[in-house]
Amino acid sequence: MRERYLGRKKGAVSQLLARLKEFAPADKPRAGQAVNGLKAFIEASLAAALERRAGDAGGSASAWRDHSLPPSELPVGRLHLIADIQRRIEDIFLQLGYEIAVGPEIELEDYNFTKLNIPEHHPARDEQDTFFLEGHDDRVLRTHTSPMQVRYMLEHKPPLKIISPGKAFRKDDPDATHSPCFHQVEGLLVERGIRFSHLKGTLEAFCRSFFGPDIVLRFRPGYFPFTEPSAEVDISCFMCRSGQGAIQAGDCRVCKGSGWLEILGSGMVHPRVLGNCGIDPEVYSGFAFGLGIERVAMIKYGVPDLRLLYENDLRLLGQFG
Amino acid sequence: MKINVDYLKRFVAFDLDDAALRDLLAGLGLETAETLRIGGETVLDIETTPNRPDWLSHYGIAREIAARDPRLRFVPMDLSAIKLSAAAGDFAIRIEDASDCRRYSGCIVRDLKVKESPPDVQQLLLSLGLRPISDIVDVSNLVMMTCGQPLHIFDLEQLQGAQVRVRRARKGETLRLLDERDVALDGGHLLIADASRPLALAGIMGGLASGIGPATRHIFIESACFDPVVIRRGARSLGLKTDASYRFERGMDAEATLPALQMALLLLSRSQGRALTPSFFQDAYPRPQERPAIRLAKDFPARLTGMDIPAAACAAILDRLGFHLNDEGDHWRVTPPSHRVDAEFKEDLVEEISRIHGYDHLQGEMPLAANPVLRVDGARDTVQRLKCQLTDAGFNEVINYVFQSPEENGMTEPQGSPLTLKNPLGRDLSVMKSSLLAGLLRNTAANANQGVERVALFEIGRVFRRQGQQLLEEQRLAASVYGRQQKKDWRLPEQEFDFAWLQAQLAALGRRLRLELAFCGGTHPAFAAGCCFRVEAGGRACGWCGEIAPAFRAACKLERPVFACELDLETLLACRGDGRFRAWNRFPAARRDFTFLMAKSRRYEELRAAIGRLRPAVLESFELADVFQGPAVPEDKVSFSMSFTYRAPERTLTGDEVNGNHAEFTGRLAAALDLIQR
Repeated sequence: MRERYLGRKKGAVSQLLARLKEFAPADKPRAGQAVNGLKAFIEASLAAALERRAGDAGGSASAWRDHSLPPSELPVGRLHLIADIQRRIEDIFLQLGYEIAVGPEIELEDYNFTKLNIPEHHPARDEQDTFFLEGHDDRVLRTHTSPMQVRYMLEHKPPLKIISPGKAFRKDDPDATHSPCFHQVEGLLVERGIRFSHLKGTLEAFCRSFFGPDIVLRFRPGYFPFTEPSAEVDISCFMCRSGQGAIQAGDCRVCKGSGWLEILGSGMVHPRVLGNCGIDPEVYSGFAFGLGIERVAMIKYGVPDLRLLYENDLRLLGQFG
Repeated sequence: MKINVDYLKRFVAFDLDDAALRDLLAGLGLETAETLRIGGETVLDIETTPNRPDWLSHYGIAREIAARDPRLRFVPMDLSAIKLSAAAGDFAIRIEDASDCRRYSGCIVRDLKVKESPPDVQQLLLSLGLRPISDIVDVSNLVMMTCGQPLHIFDLEQLQGAQVRVRRARKGETLRLLDERDVALDGGHLLIADASRPLALAGIMGGLASGIGPATRHIFIESACFDPVVIRRGARSLGLKTDASYRFERGMDAEATLPALQMALLLLSRSQGRALTPSFFQDAYPRPQERPAIRLAKDFPARLTGMDIPAAACAAILDRLGFHLNDEGDHWRVTPPSHRVDAEFKEDLVEEISRIHGYDHLQGEMPLAANPVLRVDGARDTVQRLKCQLTDAGFNEVINYVFQSPEENGMTEPQGSPLTLKNPLGRDLSVMKSSLLAGLLRNTAANANQGVERVALFEIGRVFRRQGQQLLEEQRLAASVYGRQQKKDWRLPEQEFDFAWLQAQLAALGRRLRLELAFCGGTHPAFAAGCCFRVEAGGRACGWCGEIAPAFRAACKLERPVFACELDLETLLACRGDGRFRAWNRFPAARRDFTFLMAKSRRYEELRAAIGRLRPAVLESFELADVFQGPAVPEDKVSFSMSFTYRAPERTLTGDEVNGNHAEFTGRLAAALDLIQR
């Protein structure tokens, strides 16, 4: 390259210099300047190319390098913690052979309440403070994802094996443990011969897959209008293992020393609900359960305040998902 | 429900420490919210469920404890000394509509002196959170806390016409309540009235005029059972919630009215220091409560629960809970006790049996039920992949509420009539979203205010709109970028986000779905006039992208430009292509470049269309290699470099063939669009 452009006799630049005499005397200085500029540019480019090559070979003493410098930080985005938990819960139930059924967030009052054995003027409606819509008296923002179970039962024949994840709404002012908008995953299985013990077995399988293989379940009597018998389900604390682990139960911040964590509501589908949805309760039985994803986020991941999950601050989002 | 443990022990003689009692109650379905020590006595604050109004008294809790332990027995107060006999008198109780009031028992007691209650009663009431007022008022509270039945006691001398009527209010009637509030009434309210005027809101609150005062001498005691729905409606319409209404709206035991009257008389006799005999008593019970028996197959509890509970054990449990059993061979006919207004189905009985037997005995087993065909959820899969692609590109997922302020909604839909909540938490949360963009901008501003230099967010969620009377929910995917493309780094060029970056990400999302997205000019209120594009997939409109309009950005107090998109996820998913094998050409390809100037007034899409129209059969593909404007290019022109790939499906093209095709093709292209070859 050097020879071709800068060679003393045959180099392209030398030849240009030789032809300077062809210019008119007035133009000669300008032409000479241009050619010299070209020569300087070619020399600099060649020098830079040589240096680069030496650098590539790792042999140049002048290329300073400190391998302990931090690498460039490429952006890594994350899923929202709630979406991530929801996906993992869904994956477990998909492996257990459940289908995912998703329903509308603005629901018929009939499906949200009446068909689920919560008639108008039933005190149970007080426990689910409901948002209503202007101009649509028969609709509510669903207070749970259970109405999807109603929709599914109305449209399908048993066996039914579904989970319905999604948003639900209750008129609660936001505080550390309440949010007007929250997420649930509910499950439903309807078939001949389904028993309460099947519910417990299924929830054991889920909780052990999700929280850890040593988890023990405790069923306590509870009340939901759409199940009978009903059970509140506690899991043994995965942190202190109910005092069996390294942490003394009394010191455990997760279960606050009780050894148990309230995590699910469940029960056998109420015969009136089955009947309301066109399924003969004398032939079929079923179980249903529901859990709040925010609650899981709080106890499993230690998020102290529910409001943090809806502020979408990157300092929180960056920690999970 | 507050329960005084010492008082409770009068009705069931258990011997448990506080912790053991709490565990026992929890096993029965009664959560203790709080254990209080009041004046040396233990008081449990117990959470009860709406299906069990019978739990709202010391009797109710005592019955449960006795049922759990066969060695214990529930012992109610001995009321045998108090005789209630229908005494004819110049007073009458009238129920206008038996469906509003199932039973109304009342009696008159004369010549009383209003006193303070005995100290032990006062202390008991205080421990239960009730303020002692006078022995007469205190008796009504104590009876309610003991057996659950709300009473109301009237000053007899304030009643006109020697009668009480249970009737609906007439529109325009008013009543001053005990809390000195005046309420306007209508036909939805049930009243206790005398011959001429309202006295009390039945089952909710008494009236001020007929209340017990220091000068009261003669009283009328009401012990009634009202219809739950009527009470609930009435209380709600006036915004009232009292101990009485709370109980009546859950359903009270119509058989409890007489024992409650007897208990009141017993307690009042004690404080007045003499045996009281009513001068008048009437029990209006138009339709005695009938409980249909429930047929319960003997093996059903075991079948429904999977628990091994022998029939004899089931029968013993139901018996201890006060259910009456008729053995009919393979099944029982079970009649619930009158206080168990919740027991209606055989499943209710199974819950009773398993609850008392103990849920701890339940062993888990896996069901074998299976869906005959599993619906493979391709859409969920695809959405998860889109999310992964976005996070890989450095976007963070956010989740916002579905409601926002009318102003936020107006930024994306200034003309729309948004779907509004009737009872929002506040104006800021009063409108159902018609777009996800305002939420993203709010989140962007919040993070930018914290000094975050790179804010790239996305959200997948529903938006809501009205179509006639129909309400539509659409699943959307929205994304936004703000600030720098990367964290500041001396090795990397410093670049701000721009539209090209976002557009490239969108195109990549499209390719993930095997879709070629087209970006067509358009106008949308959320986006700036010069940089606003309708996104199309396979000819179907599926969303918008561009630079956020300056006014929208300013409303969110963002200083630098924001680039964003909002796509209809369902349309995108509906258009997505499926993979299908196509063989590729094995003959060698030849590439030829073509650099030319095109008038600025033309668009690249015209060039693309012309290529499509004029392409020779052997042109396999083309690519835009460079777009250039600079000193060497005339003002009104743009320089393009295209690279064309030629290949025949069945043979190798010769150099001459390629050159010939290329020359002719580019010549026609140049002629069609007035291109100047460089």
